[in-house]
Amino acid sequence: MGAAVIWIALLGPVITLFVHLSPGDIWTALTGAGDLDPLITSLEAGGVTLAVLALLCTPLAWMLARDRLPFPRVWEAGLLMSLLLPPLVIGLLLVFMVGPYTPIGHILGWMHQSATNTFLALVIAEVYESAPYYVLGATAAFSGVDTRIEEAAGLLGDRPRGVFRRVTLPLAAPGLAMAMAVAWARAMGAFGAVVIIAYHPYGIPLQIFTTLDETGLASALPYALVLLVVALPLPMAAYIWSARAERRRRG
Amino acid sequence: MLSVDVEVDRRDFPVRVALEVADGERVALFGPSGAGKTTVLEVIAGLVPPRRGTVELNGRVLAAAAETFVDIPSWRRRVGLLRQDPGLFPHLSVRANLLYARSARAAELPALAEELGIAGLLSAMPARLSGGQRHRVALGRLLLAHCDALLLDEPFASLDAALRRSLTALVKDLSSERAVPSVLVTHQLSDAQAFADRLAVIDHGAVLQAGGPDEVVLRPASRRVAELVGYLGFVPAPGAASGGTAGADVVAGVHPDRVVAGADPDRGLVVTGTVLAARPSGAGWEADLRAGDAAFTCRLPDRPDGARVSVTVLDPPYFGPDGALAAEQGRDDVQGALDEFDAAAGGHLLAERDHGEDKRYRV
Repeated sequence: MGAAVIWIALLGPVITLFVHLSPGDIWTALTGAGDLDPLITSLEAGGVTLAVLALLCTPLAWMLARDRLPFPRVWEAGLLMSLLLPPLVIGLLLVFMVGPYTPIGHILGWMHQSATNTFLALVIAEVYESAPYYVLGATAAFSGVDTRIEEAAGLLGDRPRGVFRRVTLPLAAPGLAMAMAVAWARAMGAFGAVVIIAYHPYGIPLQIFTTLDETGLASALPYALVLLVVALPLPMAAYIWSARAERRRRG
Repeated sequence: MLSVDVEVDRRDFPVRVALEVADGERVALFGPSGAGKTTVLEVIAGLVPPRRGTVELNGRVLAAAAETFVDIPSWRRRVGLLRQDPGLFPHLSVRANLLYARSARAAELPALAEELGIAGLLSAMPARLSGGQRHRVALGRLLLAHCDALLLDEPFASLDAALRRSLTALVKDLSSERAVPSVLVTHQLSDAQAFADRLAVIDHGAVLQAGGPDEVVLRPASRRVAELVGYLGFVPAPGAASGGTAGADVVAGVHPDRVVAGADPDRGLVVTGTVLAARPSGAGWEADLRAGDAAFTCRLPDRPDGARVSVTVLDPPYFGPDGALAAEQGRDDVQGALDEFDAAAGGHLLAERDHGEDKRYRV
């Protein structure tokens, strides 16, 4: 009973969204020229963010899980600090870190790039908002893999890279998928850091914010629905795939 | 041939072991938990580096920490390690587990699966297997990988006695058939005896005695070894030892399975004692007896009759005051001296440990 109450309470905003939306509102809001551009921007930036996380943060998570880093508590504290900083503050600090008048900004300038109000800036903001969640989730996923099983694979003649590919990664995959799903949700909904360093190009969260600011709540709600619809499939797929992988292991 | 002569640092005490195992030979490292047995296997497998010494397998140096430093990674050692947890890959079927090693040949799979009794389980996932089946799969995986040495770290300790016996026999046959050196680590003496050609008793990181399983059990080199191999009491046997040992300090080791009811001086040492307690044990009785100040436990076919009984300790080992196995005199001399000792109700009892002994055995 308690579980049902909590579940319905959590779903409250979503239910409210559907109650206040009519098919006409959705049609009007999304059929104009360029109305779907924020959606495409969000999907592209989210995809690039996930690729960056998978490429750069997965090894970090593995090293944290296997105690391969010196002073591991320091590394963990660093992650927690970036998790605890409010996204808005992260955005402000990113301006000081990668803005046009900083050393990094200058380097980017030489490469005809900019980390403010560009697609790159959007990706940077999304990476900063989602990376700690992914690293912590992925670390837990790797920690759940019994090192004795990895040792057994090594003793059967498999090189460390082969052990990682054939044993560690498949066993950690359900947990990694869940971490990726959380990171995706964070990236798609990223707003605090984005509004500071990547006001343009608009992703969906900024589209909602500007529409609310310019034309009111009713015209912003269809974008909320779009955000929900595009953000949901990946986490759902991750959930379903994880459950299937677990069932398959149980035979 | 597996050749190990290493010292390994551990937090509690260093482990120093010298071990040579010929192809097809089976050696058991027997000792209490925490004695350093598993450390020896981990050094051979390449999971723990030695501080000093060498590990060689068929002439290949796997590890050396002396003038030269060699540390072949575990994945290049071709050493199979079977632990209590068989470590099957839970995401792979039995077939995929068996064929995991790149050196595994699929053509060998059907015959081996048949031999191991797992032919009908090849498409099953490990989670569906019983404990015994998992160990069979893990063993098959090692055999298909064509390891040059087989290391067994109490692999069947969690299984019931019958299953343990059958799997031990299976490993024994297969290791002989493949002619690979095998090392079993166990704290169960019966497992070590069932498996090994040679038995090494290890305690506090040192091999206390090595030899044939019968030899080690019947003639333990010291009281500590005797305690480890199951001697449950030491009775005074003044005059038992030759060579000028102080007679009153010589004790005879009493193994509970090496005691028969009644006085039979032709077969061993007769001890008369008071029955402190008796309880059913298997198909017989286990009795705690006190003779003078010494107490011991023995297993008898029938419940001891009366408060005072005589038993014969069959051909016991004698230990001098230094705890070492003492040379023996004639049985009559011993019995006569013991009778005198009994009359005086003197003597003392067990539990002096000789960890300080720095004798090193090559196993």
